[in-house]
Amino acid sequence: MVMQSLEIRRSSASVWGLPSGIRTLPTVSKYIDTSTCIGCKACEVACQEWNDLRPVQTAQLGTYQTMPTLHPEFWNLIRFNEQNFDGGIAWIMRKDQCMHCDDPGCLAACPAPGAIVQYANGIVDVNQDLCIGCGYCESGCPFDVPKFHATTGKMAKCTLCVDRTTVGLEPACVKACPTGCLQFGTKDDMVALGNQRVSQLQKVGFKNAALYNPAGVGGTGVVTVLAHGDHLDWYSLPADPHVPILTRLWKHVVRPLGMVAIVGAVIGAFGHFTKFGRKEVPGSGDSGVQPPGA
Amino acid sequence: MSATPVQHLPVDAAVVAARDRENVIVGNEIVRHKRLSRLIHWTVAVTFFACVFSGMPIWSPIFGWMAAFFGGLSAARVVHPWAGIAFFLGSAVMFFHWVAEMVLLPSERGWLGPKALDYMRYVEDDSEVGKYNGGQKLFFFATSLGTLGLLVSGLLMWWPSVFPRVVLQLSYLIHDITFIFFAIAIVFHIYLGTAAEPGTFGSMTRGTVTRAWARLHHPRWFREVTGDDDSRRG
Amino acid sequence: MASLAATFGRGAMTNGWVDIKNADVILAMGGNAAENHPVGFKWFLEAKKTRGAKIVAVDPRFTRTASQADLYAPIRPGTDIAFLNGIIRYALADKSRYHEDYVRLHTNGPYLIGEGYKFEDGLFSGFDAAKGEYQKEAWGYNPDAKTKAYGVDPTMENPRSVLQLLKQHVDRYTPEMVERICGTPKETFLEVAKIVTSTGNAARVGTICYALGWTQHSTGVQMIRAAAILQLLLGNVGRPGGGVNAFRGHSNIQGATDMAGNFEILPGYLKTPTSAMANLAGYLDQSTPTTLNKQGWASMNYFVNYPKFMISLLKALYGKEATRENDFGYAWMPKVDGNYSWMYMFDDMYRGSSMRAGGKEPAPEGFVTFGMNPVGLGPNSKKMIGALSKLKWMVVVENLETETAQFWKAPPEYEGGDPSKIQTEVFLLPASSFAEKDGTFTNSARWLQWKWKALDAPGDAKADQEILARIFLAVRDLYKKEGGALPDPILKTSWAYTNPVNPDLGEVLKEINGRALSDLPDPKDPTKILKTAGQQIDGFGQLMDDGSTMCGNWLHSGCFTEAGNNTQRRVTADPTGLGMFHNWGFSWPANRRIMYNRASADAEGKPWDPKRIGIQWNGEKWVGDVPDMKPDAPPGTFGAFIMLPEGVGRLYSPVLNDGPFPEHYEAIEAPVLNALHPMVTSSPVSKRFSTDKDKYGTADKFPIVCTTYRLTEHFHYWTQHHKNGRLNEIQPGFFVEIPEGLAKEKGIANGSQVKVSSARGAIQGVAMVTNRLRPLKIDGKQTWHIGFPIHWGFGAAEGHRGPLANMLTPSAMDPNTWTPEYKAFLVQVEKA
Repeated sequence: MVMQSLEIRRSSASVWGLPSGIRTLPTVSKYIDTSTCIGCKACEVACQEWNDLRPVQTAQLGTYQTMPTLHPEFWNLIRFNEQNFDGGIAWIMRKDQCMHCDDPGCLAACPAPGAIVQYANGIVDVNQDLCIGCGYCESGCPFDVPKFHATTGKMAKCTLCVDRTTVGLEPACVKACPTGCLQFGTKDDMVALGNQRVSQLQKVGFKNAALYNPAGVGGTGVVTVLAHGDHLDWYSLPADPHVPILTRLWKHVVRPLGMVAIVGAVIGAFGHFTKFGRKEVPGSGDSGVQPPGA
Repeated sequence: MSATPVQHLPVDAAVVAARDRENVIVGNEIVRHKRLSRLIHWTVAVTFFACVFSGMPIWSPIFGWMAAFFGGLSAARVVHPWAGIAFFLGSAVMFFHWVAEMVLLPSERGWLGPKALDYMRYVEDDSEVGKYNGGQKLFFFATSLGTLGLLVSGLLMWWPSVFPRVVLQLSYLIHDITFIFFAIAIVFHIYLGTAAEPGTFGSMTRGTVTRAWARLHHPRWFREVTGDDDSRRG
Repeated sequence: MASLAATFGRGAMTNGWVDIKNADVILAMGGNAAENHPVGFKWFLEAKKTRGAKIVAVDPRFTRTASQADLYAPIRPGTDIAFLNGIIRYALADKSRYHEDYVRLHTNGPYLIGEGYKFEDGLFSGFDAAKGEYQKEAWGYNPDAKTKAYGVDPTMENPRSVLQLLKQHVDRYTPEMVERICGTPKETFLEVAKIVTSTGNAARVGTICYALGWTQHSTGVQMIRAAAILQLLLGNVGRPGGGVNAFRGHSNIQGATDMAGNFEILPGYLKTPTSAMANLAGYLDQSTPTTLNKQGWASMNYFVNYPKFMISLLKALYGKEATRENDFGYAWMPKVDGNYSWMYMFDDMYRGSSMRAGGKEPAPEGFVTFGMNPVGLGPNSKKMIGALSKLKWMVVVENLETETAQFWKAPPEYEGGDPSKIQTEVFLLPASSFAEKDGTFTNSARWLQWKWKALDAPGDAKADQEILARIFLAVRDLYKKEGGALPDPILKTSWAYTNPVNPDLGEVLKEINGRALSDLPDPKDPTKILKTAGQQIDGFGQLMDDGSTMCGNWLHSGCFTEAGNNTQRRVTADPTGLGMFHNWGFSWPANRRIMYNRASADAEGKPWDPKRIGIQWNGEKWVGDVPDMKPDAPPGTFGAFIMLPEGVGRLYSPVLNDGPFPEHYEAIEAPVLNALHPMVTSSPVSKRFSTDKDKYGTADKFPIVCTTYRLTEHFHYWTQHHKNGRLNEIQPGFFVEIPEGLAKEKGIANGSQVKVSSARGAIQGVAMVTNRLRPLKIDGKQTWHIGFPIHWGFGAAEGHRGPLANMLTPSAMDPNTWTPEYKAFLVQVEKA
């Protein structure tokens, strides 16, 4: 978490809800090529090491996958999936972590001012000092990323190693990746790299290869190369992620209307009073209240 | 030298009577709410405002200042669900305490529409209004239902990791919308109980109202309590 | 590595990790590089991404490597020779599928073989049924009557030429036969064969990468031989992007082997003297090879320098005590009189008697195990534990309390008996780990890379060299004070370290590199002095056989020269563009990055592929990589394989214990009889044992084929000792991979407990039901195979314990390397 407000593009529960950043930085992005990921989990360990997260008690559940979903102390998970494909099998390994959406659902849902911020370079981060642990972000995230940490009472998720990236280092996962399937750079560069890899895959027979950078959330700060772009479910990726309509309805329609209605009720009562005055009790003077001790 | 006699505070017979009896006449006053009823009401009121002040800063940063009552937004977020539970429990007690008296009579159905408007324009003149008028009964049931809605949606919101996202999103909406209606209702409840209708507030403090007040607002109840058939006498 | 030495002359990865990026085709077989060598695997992907290389994975399981492959072919564990011989047959069927010019020039394809060689009914000629061994004399070449040189037919049409014999030998391995034996669908096999043989020409290059999936079979050496033969036929050896690349199982196994990791070798793969070699002259005479190839395309037969290497080693061992008069101390060297490989040692321990010296020698009563966990990694765990419980004492030097260190605590199912009755006195000496000391790692690519100590060892833990030094000095003191049997080997050993109690590893590395003991004159101009006394030598070319040089390991010579510690070099410049990085660390031999690189060029010294130049002749000398050739010897002078007496790569290798050509034999435990020769179903010379613990199962009771392997998440038997460690988090426990069909048959649900038993014991774990293991039709019959990882044991930290996978593996071995058959055996599976 960097505190320089000059570098903040968006902030949760901001009264204005608009970009307040002054400095402009190139948007950064992580590149994941699932077609060359070998599922070695070096990124999982590097993430935990760098962020000093405690090991989680896990159990062998009949899969190579470390645990079923992300966890407040496990922000980087390779999802393993076996699919029958083309008479053979496709063993999918997709690195799951915060997607750092351009239009982050977590930030949209967050009620605590400044608890979730989007830096000028596009990284979406939870400010642990301001987070109130309400979990609203969980409902806003189309990727099931933020997780409530029972010990700290705060939400936890990948920070895109903002403490590394702000000083010019790549995220820990990228640093640890032995195959180069993870890269880090400006969004433009990563998208170009992704498109290049996708066309390569298309040439060698993966006709449906695609770059996952969904427009519904304005694009993601994690672009993912998929060999089977027509089977997003194999990767546990939503087909059309967006900030939930219900969240928008709640935040942008119901809440302002509600505020107007409540204030309207107060004004209405006041107006009523000015028009109709009191409903006096006849014949008891100006007050129906009995003096004490009478 | 004789000892100076102990100075006793004057004992208000009406207040004493209001400790545990209702619907009795003490002098010029009628006991409307005994102490238990008032205690329940104010418990609900206090917990309600605890919810309001801890909830509204989470609802919108505009009300962020309210969080200061609890020591900040994080504390407000911790207090809110527990205050909600307390509010619900209070409301539940209140519900069973009053539900028998709140049964809506067929003649009171009009309160859903024109009668309520007439009432607000002070033109309603119904000599059959009992201890609670139709509006009060409707308010009672509406807030009870609202409380239930707040509870269920609030509980779902309390465990965001457990429930599906769409359920959570709906819960937020339901919690919000319910609260908005609730808040509007409470605004009018307070307005009518204080500024608009003099003499009413005392029924929730001392527990008593004047005969005149009772005759005006709740004529049938007045007749039942006093046995006086002349609801117009004053 | 015996196999590669027998084929090419040196036993190591021919090329290097980075070089894999230059390949057009990568055959990943007998190994799962993505799992076990994830860092090196990046070069597979580099080849795929930058040059559109095709990765072909052949494996019993659809592995992490297979997930990256362009083509995956399933195969029954233990049948790789049939598969590879099938590809060889496919290649030889059409001249467009193999590199004929290369074969003629750089292999013994045109060489004529004597009439003694025959192959009939599953047996090569020279089989001595009584001993269970081959008499290899029967397999000799047929020298030319006049010249006495090797008889050669350049047309390779002569029926006794190696190429024709090979063709004849593999003729039985039709695609149908491959399918029958391996279970690989014929179409898939042909697709693999087509892709692999697409490199059988000058324009394209392919590499074959393997690891312990080939080594750990009773036919392991011959599996690798088959791959080496295939690569020679395709003309892929010595070329950038080619080779047979052995991926070692640990970060420094190559270094350990180079430094005499086995009983039968001395540092630099010199031979351990046997009791029959009474003096140095006799030893050198028997160890130094001779060649018949003396003119035009002669063999450099570089091992004629053997005496220089050996005498320099003796000078390193005994210092000033080693003189010409006393055979440089040769008499003090231990002589072996039998097989001291550890499987045999454990058999001796268990039986309580020795087979050596005609059974006259007593069984070992003590045992020192240094950085090794035999109870965990040995096959047939019960026998390992039983053997240790018969010792009087055991010293375990380890950084963890391994299963070996606490073998007497083994749970009852290991049948170790009542701990109170076990009399073995165990000493556990805490040692530092790799990160807690300096030194070098020698990786699979033969690169010696210095590493720096990262942190202090905890508690009383000491570095290996200090533990060794202290024991040595204490024993020497006792000898000095009290005398004793055979004092000379101890008292005469040179121990000239600045700090004798804890020798500096840089100093040891200097000793390994070697130095001049007196002024060395330049052989080309005796008036000049190449090195003055005391100077570090530049490489093994400067070693002498007169005692004027010393060298701890000739093969590593050049690692620490007068220029400094070359293993510390970290220059990333790569002028070749091929990833050779000559100024990064030091690569044996002689900082050569691609071995046999002379074979990357044609007869005139022109590279087969001008874009991928190994070395080329520029009219005066060889340029490119460090030439694997006399640098100024014009093309046509010497053959490309300078370490072999023939001077060429061996398609036919008459030196291994189980035949000159690879032949498919079933594993010791197999579900079917050998389809080619049911009467000789498994290797006639493979080794097995006969104690009550050495049980072997049959298909009627144990119908399921099983294999074992490692996981990328864990390091051998180490990481389970880390309570709540991150690696235990990401791979929490023992599991058994079971194909969906078998699970259905047995009513086993994914994630439920399952029991796996073999003739030797039973273990239990979580079932991982998967489609990545395919049902195979073997000989027309549905055959299931399963697999499980090693790593777990009873010695792990609380909460991370699991069964020893080797409880189930058999005591069966390869006849050349005595490597156990961990990769193919029989089991039964049931719901637990």
